[in-house]
Amino acid sequence: MIDVYRKWGHVVRYENGVTIRVDEAGEATELDGVFRAEPAQTIVSVPHRLSMQQMESHVAQTLLSVLPCKIERLIISAGVARHEANGVTWTEESQRVHLSLIKPPLRVLIDLASFDDPIIATIAKALARAGASREAPKRIRLAPNVAAALLPSLIGEISIEQTGGGFDGRGQRIETRAVTADPPPNWYRPSYAVQPVRAWLNIRALTFGSIDKSAPVAVALLAPVEGTNLNVLCVDGDDVFLTTLDASHIAAVSHDEPVWFPYAAGSFGVEMML
Amino acid sequence: MTAPSTFAIASRDELYLRGALAASRLMHGQATQRGQLIEASDARDETLIRTCDAAIDDARDAVATLRDARVRLVVRATRENDAESVEATITIAIGGLSVVTTPADVMHDYELLCGLVESKPAAAIGSFPIVWQNGSAAVLLHEAIGHASEHRAPPVSWPSWLSVDAPLVPRRETFRDVPLPRMTHLIARQTSAPFALPDERIEVQLIAGGSYDPLNDIVTINVAVSTAGAFTIRRARAEVAASITGAAGEPIRYPGVICSREGQELYVASHAPVMITDALT
Repeated sequence: MIDVYRKWGHVVRYENGVTIRVDEAGEATELDGVFRAEPAQTIVSVPHRLSMQQMESHVAQTLLSVLPCKIERLIISAGVARHEANGVTWTEESQRVHLSLIKPPLRVLIDLASFDDPIIATIAKALARAGASREAPKRIRLAPNVAAALLPSLIGEISIEQTGGGFDGRGQRIETRAVTADPPPNWYRPSYAVQPVRAWLNIRALTFGSIDKSAPVAVALLAPVEGTNLNVLCVDGDDVFLTTLDASHIAAVSHDEPVWFPYAAGSFGVEMML
Repeated sequence: MTAPSTFAIASRDELYLRGALAASRLMHGQATQRGQLIEASDARDETLIRTCDAAIDDARDAVATLRDARVRLVVRATRENDAESVEATITIAIGGLSVVTTPADVMHDYELLCGLVESKPAAAIGSFPIVWQNGSAAVLLHEAIGHASEHRAPPVSWPSWLSVDAPLVPRRETFRDVPLPRMTHLIARQTSAPFALPDERIEVQLIAGGSYDPLNDIVTINVAVSTAGAFTIRRARAEVAASITGAAGEPIRYPGVICSREGQELYVASHAPVMITDALT
């Protein structure tokens, strides 16, 4: 049986001073172990085109909110796509922000799935005041954006579940499931031109323990996560410092409402405590 | 008013595992840039598609006998304004090592790769001078000179006998991408350079990858195959420049640099003579 997937999409992306608007459609098939992808020959309108004004407004807001730090890389995109697979059709809208902010010799990396997140200004203020490195405090909180980046590395370390809702890359429903060592039931397909792979989608940590709100908080990543090792920017009252953490032992996961971040195949971030 | 610039592309990308087709991708599209705005779509250009199809037929013929490797063929036919070009690259991987080559050089580079897969480190890693064989110094210079110039890094002092041709032109991987100043090729040459092979040395044959960080001016090179096995070099650009002590011969074509910047992967032809550096490990 041929597994057919189709996607029609429209995206507007701001990338370091240039705005690019892209319309495209693609079709992917898998038959007898061969994956094939090519532009689709059918025309289907996506629900609506995206507003350049909203994009420009967010870019302007971001450029202002990071002062006095410098932007090394700023990529902001908004997309709308219609998908068709397994006899199911669904539509998704997305917003993404990737920001690399520098105060030499420091760099923070920010990845968000929303334009209206005040976190950029918060991190920029902290980076502007950053002092020297310190040894990792015994108790430290991880802000939701840091916890979300770490979460895929915590599979097997704490209780994590896949969050139900929507469809996966093969048109199968995504159901709430405990994340285990077994092969994931769902498929991740970030693009029509990429062969889908099994993955836990939209993972979230189950809450436990209590968060000490007086503990320092790691507000941003200074480098990509490597395993459970974190290189982070931390705020402790009026002090801002750098530290490296071994985040393999999580002492608590907040009961707050989690926020979705574009790490791995989707990761919900909520405050954690080491 | 400046005229809009146009870009069109057709590409085919095929993956073969031990001779069997595993994946096949066709991509085409066009982009028009006016000032800081690019309008792009997956519009089809039949001329480029035909060019692309002819070139991938040739690439398939070139790899038809390679049955023990992971082989990826990528053919890109592009038109920048009115200038058309076609490029075919072949990535061959065996046993965790890979080379990037072209249809003309595929058999030579495949045999080189087979030899490297069979090779064993002769000694443990030590703090010895490095002899960069097979044109591999081109990768070191790609990071330390090419990428540094993309980021307008301040000058550092290079040996007077070394000249490096690495022009930057606006390039993009697909119609969806923003063009960036990128290298088309890197050719390093020596003129009357000193050359004295150290008795104790590490000979580098193949590089796994490299990077340049403009924030701290650090060059990182991951050596895949050497007489001391795999290892990583991580040095400031000025240290890399100061470490170069000699070179000999004509530039040698290095089998493969797929350069990734801002997520856009492009082939950069790379050549360098045999070069000697101080210990960098």
